[in-house]
Amino acid sequence: MYDFTSESIALLIVYLIIAVFILFFPLAFIYSMLFGWIHQSGRQKKLLAREQKVAGIVGGDNIHTLSKPINLEQISQCGLVMTNITVAPSWWQLFLGGIKSIFGGQIQSFEKVLAFGRGEVMQRLREQALGEGWSEVINVRVETSMVMNKVKGGQQNKLGTLEFVAYGTGIR
Amino acid sequence: MTSNIETIPGFRITKSLGVATGSTVRAKHIGKDILAGLKNIVGGELKAYTELLMEARTEALGRMMMDAGQRGANGVVNVRFATSSVAGGAAELFAYGTAVVIEQE
Repeated sequence: MYDFTSESIALLIVYLIIAVFILFFPLAFIYSMLFGWIHQSGRQKKLLAREQKVAGIVGGDNIHTLSKPINLEQISQCGLVMTNITVAPSWWQLFLGGIKSIFGGQIQSFEKVLAFGRGEVMQRLREQALGEGWSEVINVRVETSMVMNKVKGGQQNKLGTLEFVAYGTGIR
Repeated sequence: MTSNIETIPGFRITKSLGVATGSTVRAKHIGKDILAGLKNIVGGELKAYTELLMEARTEALGRMMMDAGQRGANGVVNVRFATSSVAGGAAELFAYGTAVVIEQE
């Protein structure tokens, strides 16, 4: 009698695990569809607030792409400043992008992800420059790479992970 | 001192010592891969990857500096970064620049 119950409990646990795995993916997809935009707009708002904060402290922008300093005349020290971010579209955005890429044209869901990633990495560069005490960052470059994608038989994975790198020369 | 422009502001380059390079190959942890997949439900930043790549890039830069140091340089100008993906989810991070001897103007 005891054996019977412990076996049935084990069986129940196995069924539960299977049920969770079957239910998890559709539920996660629906969550992504319904609530993904809340997370995305929240991130955008935070980024905007941080940009305004730094702009308030510096009084303009402390990063630029020219190879010569604009405001500073006497330079005593310089060094490399570098930041990065890895972003990925949500499941729902991936799904939308997949459908759109059949017909071609502008894919708004991916545009949002890329715009956020690039904005965030530039903001991090500003904050890092401020934190390390550089008064200006010159010759800023932003690069995009897809380094973390698996290559399986010539096909890239479906995660769509993107890395942005921003670097420049800090001067003071 | 390092910079990604052709000169180091406020200093004069007296000697060029060739190209200094540094690289590292990193792969991600499989557990982190699964967690990143879950984080992906709502999109956004994947912190584990960001940290991993930053760590790797810092190490590549450090190796580049060591290479430059062995050549007897005290500065690296025109630093560039390159990334390439190797099979199996591994990534190579590569930093290179021109090793130079500099002196204050």
